[in-house]
Amino acid sequence: MKKRGRLEIIKDILKIIQENRNSIRQTPLLRKANMSSSKFKEYFRELLEKGFVKETKGNSGEKTVTLTQKGFDFLERYKTIVSFIDEFEL
Amino acid sequence: MAGPPIHLLLQGVGFELIYSFVIIMCSLMIYYSTKEMYELSSDKGIKYFRQSFLLFAIAYFFKSFIKVLLAYFGTSRILDINLKYMGSITLFIFMFFGSLAVFYLVYSLMCKKWNGKSKIILGVFYLLSVLISFIIINTREVGVFIGTSLFILAIAIFGIYITHKQNKDKKKKSKIHLIYTLLFIFWILNIIEVLVNFTYLYQILISLASLGVFLAILYKVLKKSGSN
Repeated sequence: MKKRGRLEIIKDILKIIQENRNSIRQTPLLRKANMSSSKFKEYFRELLEKGFVKETKGNSGEKTVTLTQKGFDFLERYKTIVSFIDEFEL
Repeated sequence: MAGPPIHLLLQGVGFELIYSFVIIMCSLMIYYSTKEMYELSSDKGIKYFRQSFLLFAIAYFFKSFIKVLLAYFGTSRILDINLKYMGSITLFIFMFFGSLAVFYLVYSLMCKKWNGKSKIILGVFYLLSVLISFIIINTREVGVFIGTSLFILAIAIFGIYITHKQNKDKKKKSKIHLIYTLLFIFWILNIIEVLVNFTYLYQILISLASLGVFLAILYKVLKKSGSN
């Protein structure tokens, strides 16, 4: 199986959140992301720092992860970015 | 104060200024139209790709400045201008940014393969750019100048073809390596043209070809980045 690149992993994590009605807890997100816990933490921290996702407390007091506008923008532009990288062999 | 002498226009400075202006605008458009993609992806390749065009814009600005100096002082070689080292300093800046632009573009193609050693390689490129610029202003030899330019070209072409070979198995084949090669060849001719006195017709041909390459890259960037 082909190893996923950095951008593809970010897209996959954001896509999981989006497909989960833009609200998911960290544990099922980690499970669905199909990666090691340490790698997930690394990526999750990056997503928070870059403002692609935010953590909010739901009515039950549980922390859930949601996409920000920047996260939606990334998903919308993902194909363009990848096609640009391919075209210019970057 | 008297205006610029009439021979400035007669020696093709007007053409050089328009040509440099268009190339600088192309480079800046490439830089700004990839801004959003870089901010979203933080991709190193995109980062150095766009920065290389910013460096090309700076280098072309100094190239046009050199052409104005040459015309103003009525000499054919920038190093013959002895006004408080003005010629040498301008040539140094031009060479430094020009070499670094080429190295940055090579780096943008190779950085993912060089992961882990990226800082060392970038440091080497900076060092090489400073060294090349020093050699050029100190030796004042056309042979050394051409040799150094060909050395930069060799590194650049090596980088392009290594990357292209590694990307060969990808489904979609890109012809960008040919455009990069032309970009580097015409850039080197642009550098050589600063020290070697070519005929006016030859200068125009180099300029038009370089312009074509920059416009082709800009067209591809605008098309692929969805900015058009």
